[in-house]
Amino acid sequence: MAIEDPVLFRRVFKITGGDFQNAGSVSKEIKKALKQLNTDAEVIWRAMIVSYEAEMNVVLYARECEMTLEISQSGIHLVFDDRGPGIPDVGLAMTEGYSTATREMRERGFGAGLGLPNIKKTSDHLEVVSTVGFGTRLDIRLMFPAAVSKAA
Amino acid sequence: MLLEHYSHSIMIDRNLCTGCVICTLACPVQAIRVRDGKADVVKSNQCIDCGECLRVCPHQAVRSMTTKRQDLTGYKALAALPSPVIYAQFGDMHTPNDVLLALKGVGFDYVFDLAVNCEMVFIAIDEYLRRNAAPRPMISNFCPPIARMILKSYPNLVPNILPIEVPRETAAKTARRRIAEDRGIAPEDVGVFHITPCAAKVVSIMRPVGVDKSNLDGAIAIRDLYVPIKNALNNIGEVEDEWILQKSSGVGISWAIGRGSVRGLPNRRTLSVTGVKDVIRILDDVDAGRVEGIDYLELSICPGGCVGGPLVVENKHVATSRIEDLIEQYGVRSRVDTRKVVRQFEQTYLLSSSRFHAQAPEPLDTDLRRALEKMSRIEELTSMLPGKQCGACGAPSCRDLAEDIVRGNATPSDCVFIRVKELEDACAGHRDGAES
Ligand code: SF4
Ligand code: SF4
Repeated sequence: MAIEDPVLFRRVFKITGGDFQNAGSVSKEIKKALKQLNTDAEVIWRAMIVSYEAEMNVVLYARECEMTLEISQSGIHLVFDDRGPGIPDVGLAMTEGYSTATREMRERGFGAGLGLPNIKKTSDHLEVVSTVGFGTRLDIRLMFPAAVSKAA
Repeated sequence: MLLEHYSHSIMIDRNLCTGCVICTLACPVQAIRVRDGKADVVKSNQCIDCGECLRVCPHQAVRSMTTKRQDLTGYKALAALPSPVIYAQFGDMHTPNDVLLALKGVGFDYVFDLAVNCEMVFIAIDEYLRRNAAPRPMISNFCPPIARMILKSYPNLVPNILPIEVPRETAAKTARRRIAEDRGIAPEDVGVFHITPCAAKVVSIMRPVGVDKSNLDGAIAIRDLYVPIKNALNNIGEVEDEWILQKSSGVGISWAIGRGSVRGLPNRRTLSVTGVKDVIRILDDVDAGRVEGIDYLELSICPGGCVGGPLVVENKHVATSRIEDLIEQYGVRSRVDTRKVVRQFEQTYLLSSSRFHAQAPEPLDTDLRRALEKMSRIEELTSMLPGKQCGACGAPSCRDLAEDIVRGNATPSDCVFIRVKELEDACAGHRDGAES
């Protein structure tokens, strides 16, 4: 990004693998935080969807995860950095259909479980770095509509 | 529609309030604060009228703004439309018809069995689902706090709100017209009142969401009529034919409990969820597309459905069992003429005149940069506060206090721990000063 776009808000969350009791609470907090901004409902909804997917991945497959939420004037930046088994073939995991999504969820454009393609589809940018036996790092960006139109 | 002059279903009596923060902690949308030792619904546009505060206050300081008996003056005729919950309030000895007759004895010229309208609504829901394939699930809008919650927190689900008129409104419309004709009086001279298990209906009558104007004149709490009805029940003798007021089957009566829709819509995939926490959870799931294959989602804010309303007398489990008995007794075959209801549906008589619009919450700041700065400040303050979530500052959590501070409605020294620290520091400073 050429234009200077400083991070104006940062909050770090911890997610614990296997903690089904609290699964979904981080995406809820994110939704709550974003609702305090005078921003578009669609981007809030997308942020909630991708963070829930990523959070569930951690709860289902990883041991623990540090999740960082950063917001700047151009958009939302989510980083999920987990300690877990890692993904042996990121390319395969990113292929469409490699998810346990229900029919209706797929119709609406996202899935459950290892729904990396869906995170990719629902976000504006996704980068996955994974080391087997160590962990996975998801770098997700969503742009505010105003920022998109300005950039265009 | 903007809710101007939004009035509330509850009022907190400052003389009885001890500032104990029990309601503050219980409110699911964090609308209450204790300020200057008294609780107040300071975030009044956040309140969804769930009645949780009414339920938990140990000092009877939270009052429902329902119509009181002494306010029933100035009408030429009075009509009562009681929630079917009323049938479960007086034990096994009294039939629904007895209860309706007793209600008449209490001073209403006309009493209608609202459960009939509930049956009509089930048919209308079925018809709506048949004619409209999407969206799914449709979400019931009969419990007023549900619609408020969706408009405030789930803008994506606004199109899923079922546009069928609530039974009490269609019943009131019909009752008013019929009584006015019957008596030859003006429709506005007829007082039409809902007998209610919750205070939420009061707001839906006084300040309806989406609907232009309510057909009801007010709502009276079931518990305020409990004693007079009980007394009147003792004086009911043999019931003659013309005194049969109860016209519904078990289908309409089932409206009083959660899962009522399962009986009312046997051919649909339905889901019934009750209680504020579970309702929030399911709405989150529906919002995120995680609920599949459900046509109709019936939501009630009260645990167990309307039998769990804050203004009832009977224990909700006992009441549920009584309703279940009545369902069995009166059968699950609707007594309502389906064809007639479908005709009414086609004439849009049963469609709600509501137009629902999402209500965005008040942002921290309209400017994104400033709002984000404020959010950072809230984070910073939250980490400075002790995190004991004690409520002693009058806010429901440390984070809420931090937000209040940033919004300019509180100061850090409202936190007792910070204040003690400040006082200690002041004393230490004083001592140091004295020693030197
Ligand atoms: S009625 Fe419900 S939402 Fe309103 S103040 Fe009371 S507890 Fe909060
Ligand atoms: S569940 Fe029934 S009693 Fe409770 S608030 Fe909703 S409509 Fe009122």
